[in-house]
Amino acid sequence: MTKILIVEDEPMLHKALAEFLAEDGFQIMSAFDGEEAVALAKSKKPDLVLLDIILPKKDGYEVLDELKGDEKMQKIPIVLLTNLESVENIQKAFDKGATTYLVKSNYKLEDIAKKIKEVLKNSK
Amino acid sequence: MWIVNDLNLKKQARDLGIKFWQTPGFLFIMLGVLSVVVMTATFYISKNYDSPEMLVVAESIVVIVILSVGNFVISLIEQMIRLNRMKSEFVSVASHQLRTPLSAIRWETELLLSKFRKESVSTKQRQSIENINTLSGKMTKLVNDLLDVARIDQGRLIIRKMPVNIVELVEEAVTGVSTIVKMRNIEVVFKDKKNIPLVFGDPEKIRMVIENLLNNSIKYTTNHGKIEIKLLKKGDFVVFSVKDNGVGIPLEQHDRVFDKFFRSDNVVKYQTEGTGLGLYIAKNIIEQLNGKIWFDSVENLGSIFSFSVPISRKSKK
Repeated sequence: MTKILIVEDEPMLHKALAEFLAEDGFQIMSAFDGEEAVALAKSKKPDLVLLDIILPKKDGYEVLDELKGDEKMQKIPIVLLTNLESVENIQKAFDKGATTYLVKSNYKLEDIAKKIKEVLKNSK
Repeated sequence: MWIVNDLNLKKQARDLGIKFWQTPGFLFIMLGVLSVVVMTATFYISKNYDSPEMLVVAESIVVIVILSVGNFVISLIEQMIRLNRMKSEFVSVASHQLRTPLSAIRWETELLLSKFRKESVSTKQRQSIENINTLSGKMTKLVNDLLDVARIDQGRLIIRKMPVNIVELVEEAVTGVSTIVKMRNIEVVFKDKKNIPLVFGDPEKIRMVIENLLNNSIKYTTNHGKIEIKLLKKGDFVVFSVKDNGVGIPLEQHDRVFDKFFRSDNVVKYQTEGTGLGLYIAKNIIEQLNGKIWFDSVENLGSIFSFSVPISRKSKK
């Protein structure tokens, strides 16, 4: 079963994402802050990380740095899912190795699931 | 009284939402009147005292009065600029904060709807959730529009530039409206799409403009209407145009069409929905892409809205 790590501090958004993706057949792991995200990624080896940028303890960019800086986790595709949409934010995420960048308010859950499947297919 | 009417200070005060004596026009008149009064006074004073010292003192008084009134005017203008910036920042922050709960509402209702597909539930219940879903979608659109307007006002609307297949964008937009068009019996024709080169711009923003123009056409066309979309290569530009046989725009309002919050009189009467932000945003986007946006419209006959975007250098070779 494909494992997805959801990193999102807003409980409502987190719950909706987790439920929808679980329905869609993914195994879900949950982190509500940056530190938890890095720890879970290290111990549980997800197939994909869905990552918010504004997070407590460590922000999304720091998480990206740590995951991409670790040889064992380098290859895990990281999909950013945030409400920040300035060009600088997007560029910074791609520079740090993000696979895709999605703006929350522009995407339905269905579209997010579609994007995730696309990314997973391309990363194989 | 004629001067008040002529400069229309009352209207100025009302439009700017400030007091009568704070309007730039009033302050300007005051500056003039004061200068004249002070100068006349110094003239008479210096005439009675025939010494150069007195003249220097009088001149200094004139300068001080003019400088202090000028300073007051400048500080008022400064205050207005600051308030305007605060307003844009407020809209920007508020809209941004609204997006998280809005996303939550949309995702939760989507989740409910996807569950409903598997369980049996009454049509009424499903309809209610679908309505919430549609409405929160509209609210998201409105919040995004407000954010864009705030960014335009702050000069922060950043636009990427890359080669874009505009034919694909138009086709997607047409597919996007297929349900509503069918419901309202409107015929949408998209022809003239052969040999259209790639354009140079921001795909998401161009998509926004196309969707906005197309949605306007549909919104302001009566049932059984017809909408024609065309793409055309013209020199170094690709021109997109959408023509409808809808309500059109009254001639006397043509020069205000791209203004912020503008909605034409004939439209407001029967279509209450709409913010008047779409075309303002569209104009700013297209101009930042070095293109132009324009229209032609006759009331009760219909409108053609067009914009041009530069061709990508890659496809020119």
